[in-house]
Parts: sequence; structure tokens; C-alpha cells
Amino acid sequence: MLHIANLRASIAGKTILNGLDLDIAAGEVHAIMGPNGAGKSTLANVLAGRDGYVVSGEATFEGVDLLALAPEDRAAVGVFLAFQHPVEIPGVGNMYFLRSAVNVVRAKRGLPEIGAMDFLGVAKEHMARLEMDPAFLSRSVNAGFSGGEKKRNEILQMSMLEPRLAILDETDSGLDIDALRIVAQGIERLRSPDRSMLIITHHPRLLDDVRPDYVHVLSGGRIVRSGDHHLAAELEANGYTSTLAAVPA
Amino acid sequence: MKAADGSVMDYPSTKEEAWRYTPVDEIVSRLAAAATMPATGTSVSRQVVDALAGDHGGPRLVFVNGVYDADLSDHDNVPAGLWCGLADLSHGRAAANVALAGIDWAVDGFLARNHADGHDSAVVVVDPGVRIDVPVHVVHVSAPDNTGERADSATISHPRTIIDVGSGSRIALIQTYCGLDGRAVTNASTTIRVGRHAEVDHCRVQTESTAATHIGHTRIEQEEGSRLRMISVTIGGDIARNAIDVHLHGPDAQTELVGVNVTTGRQRHDTVVTVDHAASRCASTQRFTGVIDDHGRGSFSGEIIVRPGTVATDAHQSNRNLVLSPNAEADTRPWLQILADDVRCTHGATVGRLDDDALFYLRSRGIPLDEARTMLIGAFIRDVTDAIPHPSLRTHVAAIIAASNGMVATDPERMR
Repeated sequence: MLHIANLRASIAGKTILNGLDLDIAAGEVHAIMGPNGAGKSTLANVLAGRDGYVVSGEATFEGVDLLALAPEDRAAVGVFLAFQHPVEIPGVGNMYFLRSAVNVVRAKRGLPEIGAMDFLGVAKEHMARLEMDPAFLSRSVNAGFSGGEKKRNEILQMSMLEPRLAILDETDSGLDIDALRIVAQGIERLRSPDRSMLIITHHPRLLDDVRPDYVHVLSGGRIVRSGDHHLAAELEANGYTSTLAAVPA
Repeated sequence: MKAADGSVMDYPSTKEEAWRYTPVDEIVSRLAAAATMPATGTSVSRQVVDALAGDHGGPRLVFVNGVYDADLSDHDNVPAGLWCGLADLSHGRAAANVALAGIDWAVDGFLARNHADGHDSAVVVVDPGVRIDVPVHVVHVSAPDNTGERADSATISHPRTIIDVGSGSRIALIQTYCGLDGRAVTNASTTIRVGRHAEVDHCRVQTESTAATHIGHTRIEQEEGSRLRMISVTIGGDIARNAIDVHLHGPDAQTELVGVNVTTGRQRHDTVVTVDHAASRCASTQRFTGVIDDHGRGSFSGEIIVRPGTVATDAHQSNRNLVLSPNAEADTRPWLQILADDVRCTHGATVGRLDDDALFYLRSRGIPLDEARTMLIGAFIRDVTDAIPHPSLRTHVAAIIAASNGMVATDPERMR
């Protein structure tokens, strides 16, 4: 489904991704862990199409060259990035934003526009599960939201947009235990045989609730070790440095 | 030009602070070259007025090329206590208010010419103690003759509007300056007297053709305890100047001025505001916003005067600009003359670009670049568009802004 080969990315002359290879099949959940500065967020941003990086190599999604597409076209083929730092956009209503996004993506997939009332009904269902007050719909996008509210809003968007490839960039960071549980449950609910997930995290805690099929360690801009969820436990117990040192490259 | 007292009044010079950004020589030469259209034979229909200015439910006075058009106007059945019509000396009411022209004096050559050469003047009078619920709409349409023998010269008009709001009254006013395609010169003046404890909600919308020249002057006189809120929207014109002078004569008066200019192509939009605190305990706010694209130039000069001997003055000013192209230019200049001690005064100005992070966020959700830009521009000016109290006008303005900026039209009611 997602195929990444020899992916390189640099910004302002500094190499961040340095020949990264990764394949994710349909329905699989992969976790990427790694020390600060390893290139985790860069990977997420490059896959979603953020400007500013010099990118080479290959990243295809179901055979479509992602790197050639504008961010909105990546969303249309089913890529979704849950931001590490969701952007506050005062003046743009959350509901208007979300419904616009859902309808643009639906139109590109050949589906009919969803009406305001139907949209509201579906949104409220998702919000109830995420323990979000429906009042968030009438507020500006992320404006004045707490850290946990922003992350829930990301999961809400993901639930509404129904992506084929969900990339979650440190969605667990900054959450208290209760919020982490709600967000983890939200992610787990979206797990499905035709949806792949790439979960970027610092902390194995999230992976207790959303058990990945594979765990990768990103270091120096490439994947240096892969394993199953036991690798996350090993990292938790021993730290990156000794875990990586213990295994010859 | 001669002033009322017979003295010669010159056009202003760009050496004067208030005219610093305005290409006065160019405007003067356009004025000189423009021709007055004959009072008859315009091709403006009711449908055209509806499309250009909107129908906002209240009485409507329509002027085409500065000449009153009875067929296009609706002000026969106005609420009791409201009078609107022309400044005709034979009409007692209006005559009383031409006396109001005592405060409507010319302060420069443009105003002198407006007073001397204007054809018809609109007058709106609200008796004391009357609350009018429907907005009074004064529409000025520039209709250049693009086909006849005058096709080569711009059409000139000198619209003048006098509004007198009695003590304790309340009224909403909408002024629209709009036009058909082609070259026109509009040299407009408006004077509003807000009586003691009266309340005025005033929207001024300028959507003339992008080949038009617009010189607008609004003079507001506020008496004790009065409140005025003015929302000004500047979209049209090749060169357009929007001057607003507020004089706070009585204590405890409040003024809120909100405005936006949407400037693109090679347009020049100048906003020049003066708020003169001549009495104690008055509060004024100026919040002006510019969205400037392509080779457009927008300027804002905001003056606050606080007279000696006044106390407890509250005066605030902000000017925010969104510059969308490397060739676009925003100039902003606060100008404070604080001549008293007991004053709370703030001012601030910003010039910025669209937020790249916000654009990427919207696009990452599937929203195309154009629509994402439109959303962010709409959000930037929402402070102004949301302040428009009439839903039909809000929608009308949003559609024109969208069209003028090549933006995707969005209904502001949906953006909430």
C-alpha cells in the first residue's frame, strides 16, 4: 500500500532523512520510534507534502507517486496526517472547515456532498465517543483549544475523513492519562483491513493501547531496526542508545 | 475653487499629512478631464441597482451619476419620525437641515467642488426620540457612457449626503458607492450629526469599477452620550481615498470605526481617519484591515487628537494588513496628538503574509490551495464583515470581495 524507498529529505542544506525504506501493507499498523532529531516528524511532513524540504527517492501509495502531488491531492487519495502541533486558525469555524474538507475529499472520490444536518449528526456521534463537547464545532479551528482538545480534534477529523493511510505524529504527546486513553481508543476504532497506519511516538505507552504490527527505530534519518511490539518494550526498558548498540547494524 | 465664504480653496498638497499617500495631482487631472453626464438617458435599471448595491429592506434613495432617480428610489412609506429625500429648500424639513450645512463646510478643494458642483444632495432626518428598525440605504451609481460621443471621457459626479439624527434616536444607514464598468470620477461627501444620546450604525460600501476614481469624505459630529459605529468597505476604484473625520463634541460619546480595504491589480486604496476628542470621557476605537494582492497599494493614516482640558479619554487604533504578493505594498501610519494627561490610548499596526502553517494544515485535509487561501483571507477580515449588522449586506459584501479577489465565493453565514 505505502512503499517508501531510499527517501531523502533535507531542509536548509541539512540532511534529515537519509535513505529511508519502509513498506506498509493494507491494514497494518506500524510504529516509528526514535530519539529526538531522528527525522520522525520530517517523515510525516514529507509524506503529507509540507513545503520547504528538498526531497528525493520514492514514496508511492497504491502505486501513486505521492511526492508529485500537492498536499490536498494526497488527502484526496487517502493520506491523513494528525499533526504533532495542530494549527490554530482563528476566524475559520471548525464545523465549516471540517465539512468543507469532508466534501472536497468526497467529491474527489466520486461521492455525493454530505448535507449540513447529516454532517452534524455524524460529527456529534464521533465527538461523543471522543468525549468532546459539540460546542467545539462552533469554535474556530483549534483556537484556544487545550493540548488534549487539539489532539482529540485531530482524531475527530481523521474519523470524519476516513483516510486510507493515517500518519499520527506524536499524537500522544502532551496528553494526560485519560486523554491518552480516549485518543488511543479513537485510533483503535479506526483500525481496519483497508486502512494502514503509521504511528510516530516517543513513548511506548500509546502502543499498549494501539498494538502495532511492526515497530521501527528511526535514527540518523533511516530505519536502523525493526521488530514487533516487543521492540517497543525493549526500548522502554533499555533506552535507544543501548538497544541500538546491542545489535550489530 | 471657492469656499463658502468666497475665498479660494486649493486642492490639498501631498505635503499635508492627511494627503501624504494620495496621488493628488493625478486625481486633479482626472477631475479636470471628466465630463458631467446629462441628467437623463442612463441605462440603470432596478435590477442593476439590486445587483450592484443589494436590497436591504428599508427605504432606498438612488442617485445615478449624482442625479436623483425617482423611479429607482423607494422612500414613500417610511416609518414615522423619519424623513428622507433631497435637499430641496422648498421643503421645510430639508431646509432646516440644509442649515446643518453649517457644520458641513468645505475643508479642501475637493469638498468645495463637491458643494459647488453637486447636482442633488440626499438628506436623511430622524426626529428626536425615534428608533428606526429598517436600514436607510443611499445608493450612488456611477454609470459611465462607454458607447456614445462621451466614451472617451470619464463621467464625474459629486454625491453629497447629509444625515441628521435627533436626540435619543436610533438609525441604521447604508451608503453604497457602486458603478458600471468604465471610467468615472466620484467626489463624495457625507456629513452625519449624531444628536445627544442618539445611536447610529453606518455601513459605507464602495464597490465602484476598477477604472473609477473615488474621493470620499465622511464627517461625523457627535454630541453628548451619542454612539456611532461605522463599518467601511473599500473594494472598487483604481484610486480610492476614504477619509473619515469624527468630531466628539459632547462628553461620554462613543465611536467605533471598523474598515477593510481589499486591494488588487494596480489599485490604490487610502484610508485616512481622524478622531478628535474635544470632550471628556469619550471612547473611540479604530480597527482597520487591509488585504492587498498583486501590485496593489493600501495605506492607512489614523489620527487621534485629544484636546487640552479633556479627561478620561479612551482611544484605540489598530491597522492590520495581509500582503498576498511580493509586489503589493501596505503603508500604515499612526498619528497621535495627545494634548491632555488623563488618556488611555493604544495603537498598533501589523503587516503580514498568509500563515504557511495554516495553509498547509487546511490543504492536508484536502482543501485546495485557492479555497484554503479564501478561508484564511475571510478569517482575516471577519472582524469587519461580522460587524456588518445586516445579513443581506454581509452576504453581498462577501460575494463582492470574493469576486474582486479571484477568491472562491463563500457564504459568511456558513463560515460561522
